[in-house]
This record gives sequence, C-alpha cells and structure tokens, in this order.
Amino acid sequence: MQGKCGLFFESYREEAALLVGGFQKARFAALLVVLCVCPFVLNAYHLSILILINIAVVGAVSLNLLTGMCGQISLGHGAFLGVGAYACGALTLQGVPFLVALPAAGCITAATGMLFGIPSLRLKGIYLAIATLAAQLILQYIFLHWDAVTGGSIGLALDPPSIAGMTFDTDEKMFYLTLGVAMVMLVMASNLMRSRHGRAFVAIRDFYLSAEIVGVNLFAYKLMAFAVSSFMAGVAGGLWGHYLQFVTPEPFGLGLSISYLAMCIIGGLGSIQGAVFGAIFLTLLPEVLTWLLEVGSAVFPGASQYLVAAKEGVFGLVLVLFLIFEPEGLQRRWRLFKAWCKLFPFAY
Amino acid sequence: MRTQIFAAVMALVLLVAGPAMADTIKFGVLSDLSGPTSSVGVPYAKGVQDCVKHLNDTKFLGEHTLQALQVDYAYNVQQALSAYKKFKTEGIVALQGWGTADTEALTRFVAQDKIPCFSASYSAHLTNPQNAPYNFIVVADYTTNLRGILKYFKDKWTEERAPKLAFIYPDHPYGLTPLEGGKAYAKELGYELVGDEHVDLKAMDATSQLLTLQGKAPDFCWIGGTTPTTSVILKDAQKLKMKTVFFTNIWGVDEDLIKLAGDAAEGTYTVQGGSTGYDDTPGNKIILALTGGEIPMTHYYRGFASTYVMAELIRRALEKGALTGEAVKNEAEAMRDFDPLGLTPPVSYFPDDHRPTMTSFIYKIEDGKLVKKGTEVLERKAEWLGK
Repeated sequence: MQGKCGLFFESYREEAALLVGGFQKARFAALLVVLCVCPFVLNAYHLSILILINIAVVGAVSLNLLTGMCGQISLGHGAFLGVGAYACGALTLQGVPFLVALPAAGCITAATGMLFGIPSLRLKGIYLAIATLAAQLILQYIFLHWDAVTGGSIGLALDPPSIAGMTFDTDEKMFYLTLGVAMVMLVMASNLMRSRHGRAFVAIRDFYLSAEIVGVNLFAYKLMAFAVSSFMAGVAGGLWGHYLQFVTPEPFGLGLSISYLAMCIIGGLGSIQGAVFGAIFLTLLPEVLTWLLEVGSAVFPGASQYLVAAKEGVFGLVLVLFLIFEPEGLQRRWRLFKAWCKLFPFAY
Repeated sequence: MRTQIFAAVMALVLLVAGPAMADTIKFGVLSDLSGPTSSVGVPYAKGVQDCVKHLNDTKFLGEHTLQALQVDYAYNVQQALSAYKKFKTEGIVALQGWGTADTEALTRFVAQDKIPCFSASYSAHLTNPQNAPYNFIVVADYTTNLRGILKYFKDKWTEERAPKLAFIYPDHPYGLTPLEGGKAYAKELGYELVGDEHVDLKAMDATSQLLTLQGKAPDFCWIGGTTPTTSVILKDAQKLKMKTVFFTNIWGVDEDLIKLAGDAAEGTYTVQGGSTGYDDTPGNKIILALTGGEIPMTHYYRGFASTYVMAELIRRALEKGALTGEAVKNEAEAMRDFDPLGLTPPVSYFPDDHRPTMTSFIYKIEDGKLVKKGTEVLERKAEWLGK
C-alpha cells in the first residue's frame, strides 16, 4: 500500500478499505460527479463510446478475476458474453423484467462457465487455454443452431431495457444504467478480492501446490472463479445485447475473447483497476485510430489507403510494445505517475 | 452613407453565404476497408464514392450536393455502432451500410432514429418491414437469388430423371440464411437433394467434402461461401474430375475468383443481383468513363447502384419538401420500377414488402469473363417475404 506520508493503519479493516484517506475519497467522488455530468455535455457519439467502455469494463474485470487473479487462462470469454446476451434476450422476450433477467442471465452464464471450468482441475496453462477454446467453439455452434432460443442465423431482436416502467431507450439513460451496473460489478469484484476467497484465488495463481497445502480446495475455488467470472461476463453480455437490441452469433467470436484478454494484459493482469484501464484503452484505440486516419488523409490524401491498411497492424503493434516495455500494464504506469506527482519536484 | 455601407455589407454577406445556402446533404458510409471482408468491401466503397462524385458533377440534386461520411469499421460491430452514432451527430439522412454484422446490429437503431439504411447484406429477413422497417437493399435477397437460379437450371433440364442437387456452405449465418427457403423451393421444383457439406470461409482444402459428394454424383452444386472458398472448392473439384455444375451466390464469384481459380473457374455459374462491367448498360458507360475505361469489380456496380437509388429517393423527398429520413423511407415505399441506369433490375418497395425486385441475373464464367446467360423473374409470393 502506497499511502501519503504519516499514514498509519491501526486495524486490518482500515488497511483493507477500498478508498484510503480523504484525498482518494474526494478524487473518486469527483470522478463520479464528472461521469454523471457526461450525458449533459457529450453528444451521442461520445456517449455511445462511454457506454461501450462501461460494458467492456465489466467484461474485462470479469476476465481479470479468472485469468489475472486466479491464473486460469480462458479463451472462451467472448462466448460467455454471448451466453449472457442470448440468455438475457431470451428471458426478456418471454416477458421476464429486465432487472430479473440480467442477474438470471449472469447465473445461466455462471452455470455454463462452471461446466466448461471443470477441466481446469486437471488442465493448466496452455492446455486449459485449448479446453476453453473448445468452449468458445461449442457455444458458437449452439448460438447458430439452437434456433428455438437463439433465433439461429437471424438472431434475436430485443427491446430496450425497461425497469419499473422506465424504458432505457436513449444513450443518456443507457449510460446511467451501464454505469450503475459497472459500479456494482466493480465493487463486487473489489470486495471479493479482499475476502478469503480472493486470497485463495491469488494463492492458486501463485502456486497451486502451496495453496492446496494451506487448505485451499483447488477444485471448488477454481470452479468458483469460473462461476464469478462468467456471471459478470453474462451481465456484460446482457447489457451489450440490450444496448444493441439485436443479438447475432457473429460478434461473440474468438476475436472478442482475444480482445478481452488483450484488455487484461494492456491494463495489467491481476488488478481490477488495470482491467478498467485496459477496457478504456482498447475501446478508445480504434476510435482514435479512425480519427488519426481522418486527419492523416486530410493532410496526405495520397497516403490514405496505406494508413487504412496500417490500422489493423497498429493493434498488434500496441500489444507487442506493451508486452515488451510494460508487462505490468497501464496500471503500473498509473502507479508510477502517482508516485511522480507525490514526489514532485524532488524525486527522493 | 450609413445605409450604403449597410447595403454593401449585406450584399457581400449574401454573396459569401449564397453558395453555402445550397445544402450539403450528408449520408453515412460504413465500409470495411481493412477487415476480413475488405477484398470486396474496398471496390463496393469505391462504387459508393464514385457515384457521389458522378451525382454531384451532374448536379443530380440541383443546388444540393451529396456528402459521403465514410468510416472504415473493419467489420467490427462495436466500431460500426460508434461510427453510426458519430454519423447521427453529424446529421445524416441515410446510411449506406455494409455487411451482415453491422446491418443487423443497427436494424433497431436505424428504425428508432428513422434513418433509412441501404446495405450490401442481402439477407431475406431484412426485406420484411416488420423486422426491419428502415432497411433497404437494391438487389434481390440471397434466398430469392437462390430460388431464381434453381428455377433457371430446372427450366433448362431435359433429362427424364430428377436433377440431383447438393449444397456446400460455411456453417455461418451468411451461409445458412438462404438454405431453408432454397431447399424448400428445390423440392417443390422436383430436385432430388443429395447432400450437404460444410466448407469453412477460411478453408484451404475441400477434398474430403467433395469426395463425399462425388459418391452422390450431384448434377448441380450450390456454393454458399465467398470467393476464397469458391476457388478452393472449384480447384479441388477439378482435381477430382467432377462433372457437377457448380453455382454460387452473389459473393461467391467476382473477377478475383477468375484470378484465384484460373481454369477451374470455367463453366461455373453465378447468380447476381446487379449487372457487371461486361454488360452494355447506360450505367456502365458512366462508370467506365469515371474509371478511365478500366472495368471495376462486380461489387463496385452494386455500391454504385445502391447509392444511386438512395440519391433518387433523396431527390424525390426534396421535391416534396422537407428532407428527413422518414420522408426518404416514405418515398422508397412509393417507388415503383425505378431503373438505376440498368445497373440492377427495376427497383420497387412496398410499405409491407421491402423486396426490391424478384429478378436475378444468371452469369457463367466463359474464357475468364462473366457472361450473362439469362434473367430469371420469380413471382412476388407473400409467403416468401423475409424467408
């Protein structure tokens, strides 16, 4: 814990607090205020990006719980989001209220995640990655062929979410809904990590044998990690499906799983804050590249076709550069920045 | 003196503002220039841009000019969504969409925002206004095209026995969409359905699937993939010396296939919604003038036609007064047999039926060229709508 000078804790409870000290609390409150004001100042385009960021944050934090905290690599996360989207969509189409359907979709996804997490007791590392890849492929097949529930190749057309008579049919309303859900999920994940369950996850990640020797039930905890992570992924999927109001199998491919993994790596594996940074970074990257492309094409009209081709390459390049120069991700950069601010102007 | 200065200033203001008062009409263009479908997305987008250039040069909309706001969304739904939101803030009246992924994802948004979306995803369910009230396509949908070519082959069939028909397609929404309707119609026409095989969109080899089919000796075989898959299948079929006549959908054959498959592509049929660069149409003359005589890919022609139809609807809406997305949609639903320079069959939309046409063009690859072999016109049956 890096606190200000003269910060002493008198109890473990104090030390484990999510926000330490008045400054952190004030900063967080200011951030919340800024976020709440966003719909009044931003246009629909910028707001839609923020909504996508909110949803990506939930998805990235969920994967970071599983992969970053518990060390169980998953290449099936995109499909788990899909399960959530389809489950939530199918439930609301049956007339289940959104407020019930969203957690229910999370539970259905959790059950699916646990099922595909069973091999994790015996498989580790690359082997588990392949097992979860199989989950991705199987689930994609189900999305496409279980016509009665998923609508097959045509997909499901959904209505905007409605809670207690209020319909979330505008970007402004959707922003508050996704922000609220993202906050709840973040608090849930943070609380989990400060509990004995969270410490058990980290113990399994660091060395499974030691964890087992100190009494961590490996199978139960690995399954729990899969369940919690999939629950959150399901919630993210449910939000995504209802925001788009159309669920088809195409977006939930391996590419989505990889991009969530990339969010965790770029943000910082094993850190909730890192997952948030990663989600923000990777959602903004294509938008920033598109904007740069527009500017670039205006300045060098002849080069626009090469710039377009370079766009896809930049994504890969960013990933490689992060792995080489900042394997701990944006989260460490943020820590260094905070340390720099604290010590400025005398770096002693 | 003061009045004179005022008058002079006003005159100057009017002079400067005059050209600016002629409205710029903006529409969004979602293109895949760098993603998985970019090989066909680039020529399509070029068709859209060239059409805008042509329309503005010829003052098609009078004093108004069309402005295409283009975003390369790399076939990513999330990027398509944010691009759409961006277009919306910039005040577009219509949208030129692209693939299945983005078109379907935006179906609800365009309906809520009342922005007509003209796309190159020709899934039949987009032609049902109950599902997609603001979606339009300018050529026959995938299923209608499949039905059209099946009828064409059946009409040409002279033998006593029933023709044997097989299907090869990727296990993907795009490959699966036309099958149900197509197979039902094939049975109705008296085809014997002998088998189905899956060949992935990224397949490098199709020998095992074709060996299975070879045993069943189909007379005709549908290829429901894209050009790379078609070329793999055709080359493997040539290796196996199969006698089957292969036929593909709208995205299965283009000029690239002839380069990819070479000799193996000879004799392959394809069903196309629009015309190609080898056809003598008024639109083709304009296009060849724009490209300096170079024949662009078939997809370019559909991009051009889609924009042309949209511009015509905008023109009609402008004539009647205020230009809004809803007005464009209403004009579309009142459009009857509009000929977009011969680039596609005449287009009509109805309030309860957005099928633009029931006409398909049948082409065959002969001597490395797409040669038009026939035109198939189906009945506009109500039970086929959206299926």
